[in-house]
Amino acid sequence: MKSDASLPVEGTGRQFALAQLRRGQVATVSGLVESAAIDSGRDASQSLVTRLRDLGFVPGARCEVVARMWLGGDPIAVRIGGSTFALRRAEAAAVRVEISASHARDAVAHAGSSAVPA
Amino acid sequence: MDATVTPLRIALVGVPNCGKTALFNRLTGSRQKVANYPGVTVERREGERATPDGRGMRVLDLPGTYSLNPTTLDEAITRDVLLGRLADTPSPELVVCVVDAVHLPIGLRLALEVKRLGLPMVLALNRMDVARRRRVHIDVAKLSAELGVPVVPTIAVKRGGADALVEIVEGGRWVAPRAFAAALQEHGAEDAEQMQRDLRGLLGASGYSPPRENPWFGRIDALLLHPVAGLAILLAVLFVMFQAVFSWAEAPMNWIEVAMNSLGAFTAAHLPAGPLASLLVNGVIGGAGSVLVFLPQIVILFFFILALEDSGYLPRAAYLLDRLMGSVGLSGRAFIPLLSSHACAIPGIMATRTIPNWRDRLTTIMIAPLMTCSARLPVYGLLIAALIPARAIGPFNLQGLVLFTLYAAGIVSALLVAFVMKQFARDRQYSPLMLELPDFQWPNASNLLLGLWERVKIFLSRVGGIILALMVVLWFLSSYPEPPPGASGPPIQYSLAGRLGAMLEYVFAPIGFNWQIAIALVPGLAAREVAVAALGTVYAMSAAGDDLSAALEPVIASSWSLATGASLLAWYVFAPQCLSTLAVVKRETNSWKYPLIMAGYLFALAYLASFITFRVVRAWA
Repeated sequence: MKSDASLPVEGTGRQFALAQLRRGQVATVSGLVESAAIDSGRDASQSLVTRLRDLGFVPGARCEVVARMWLGGDPIAVRIGGSTFALRRAEAAAVRVEISASHARDAVAHAGSSAVPA
Repeated sequence: MDATVTPLRIALVGVPNCGKTALFNRLTGSRQKVANYPGVTVERREGERATPDGRGMRVLDLPGTYSLNPTTLDEAITRDVLLGRLADTPSPELVVCVVDAVHLPIGLRLALEVKRLGLPMVLALNRMDVARRRRVHIDVAKLSAELGVPVVPTIAVKRGGADALVEIVEGGRWVAPRAFAAALQEHGAEDAEQMQRDLRGLLGASGYSPPRENPWFGRIDALLLHPVAGLAILLAVLFVMFQAVFSWAEAPMNWIEVAMNSLGAFTAAHLPAGPLASLLVNGVIGGAGSVLVFLPQIVILFFFILALEDSGYLPRAAYLLDRLMGSVGLSGRAFIPLLSSHACAIPGIMATRTIPNWRDRLTTIMIAPLMTCSARLPVYGLLIAALIPARAIGPFNLQGLVLFTLYAAGIVSALLVAFVMKQFARDRQYSPLMLELPDFQWPNASNLLLGLWERVKIFLSRVGGIILALMVVLWFLSSYPEPPPGASGPPIQYSLAGRLGAMLEYVFAPIGFNWQIAIALVPGLAAREVAVAALGTVYAMSAAGDDLSAALEPVIASSWSLATGASLLAWYVFAPQCLSTLAVVKRETNSWKYPLIMAGYLFALAYLASFITFRVVRAWA
């Protein structure tokens, strides 16, 4: 999907895939992309993106990873808009997040080498 | 009052966990119709309510959905009903959109989507009590004005909590929203953005402020979702649940047994000996009674499943198990159907409708009958009591260990079958987990009781209907024709059932089954638990038994070898003979192919397992 036109143009924070957040880290959704981790065609990842948006993963929404399973963190539990959702790593890969300025120190402390610039 | 006027058709729509089913219960009470075996809100539930004008209303509880852009069969049904696409369900005259006030944005987004269909609509702002406690602010009047439909606060779990809604519906104080084309537009990206803007506008206009976080929820989740502690707690919960099914049920089971025995003795004493007394005592009371005994266990099992469901724990279990189940090609979402299958495979199979991917769903359906359903308990209970000594092994009881092994054997073989199916799968379409982990709440007592009552009704109607009828047929088959004069063997050997059993014995002899078992397996096709009743009838036909299960146990203990008993136990781990399960599979997959494959593979596995068990136990004992 093309980059979302309604993206907040802060441009300050670095962008991550949601699955890369550590437990307890708070971030802001910056956009949804079709996840490359879902290999079963465009339709599947398109409908995934649509559903994520319906669940409230929209640009500007604040989210927090509240639990991660096992070492690889699959699945994860994400708190957003007052609800909690269980997402697999592949699903969370569709959500791009930005660490907001107030949480930037957290990000540096936790993200380490796994941070991928957008 | 005009009898020709049909009741007002109302449909309840809402996201999962918004309290829609509680509101449905509040509106319709016990006047509900659930088409045969219910899953958890996956079935078509309809209820009626009288209105002062005599017209009445017919309320349909649609499956929960986040969007009219469906990803599961459930959600597709909701969309199709609203659009009037389902042949047997005309589109509703009024839609009540149920929105959880605590999670307003997600519910309101769906409401916006529903409103676009142009159907008359009322918005029920549910869980207002919780919303107030958590300091959610919503200006109801402004929201209603902005949305253009009536908005009514409700508290579905409180008596009278839906009165305001009823008043609006009965008063006819609702009109069609400014009509849009009643066609569903494709959910394009621009469209979705427009919807988000509308939603933000609505939330702003109604002065919405989000709920205060309940710090306890976070703490509980940190524990329950923890990779190690969470799994340990899940195991403990399941252990307590299955333990309770056996220990709590013991006393009430004894009461039922005693009652049935004295009823049988009373009948035998007050009727002249003859075919009628034999039919009533051996066929009706003995047959149906030996199944009725298991009512307490079924009630307890469903009590746990319903309470776990209502509290919000089950989706968390699915989260914990997703990875493990994924390794054999199952989704974490399969956990709930498979857990329900421990009560009965039928609601379990129906609950698979919430699994979005067809392949995942099919795998779950195919292995659901391997979960030890409550209908196997009578068979296990009888054989274990008769053949396994109640010896202590360390802190455990040998009988309990055997039972646990049988449950485990079912689960392990299910995982193996799923793994094999995964290897054969051609399309590897990705199937999302994307599961909401709802806020914790105390299970609501009246919803729980209503749910239990529904299950009890189904079980009793099974005992009263199909099982009773079969026992009468079996009694007839094993009584006639009567033995020729001067015959030496027990009379049943000369009957139709005896001859059938003798023929089947050729098939079953290699796995150690005698002709009595072979006969009992035939009526067991209708319902597995009937096999116990059938064994009871078969053995009782030679002796004048008035107490079947108590009499059966010593008979089996003295006349069966351990190898035969173990072989029958192994057979019942797979227990292929349940016609109602196969019928549901046919209905759910809309093809004869899958029920036939299921019956075939279950028979093959059952025969193989029994064969091996029989040979091994005989060589070793």
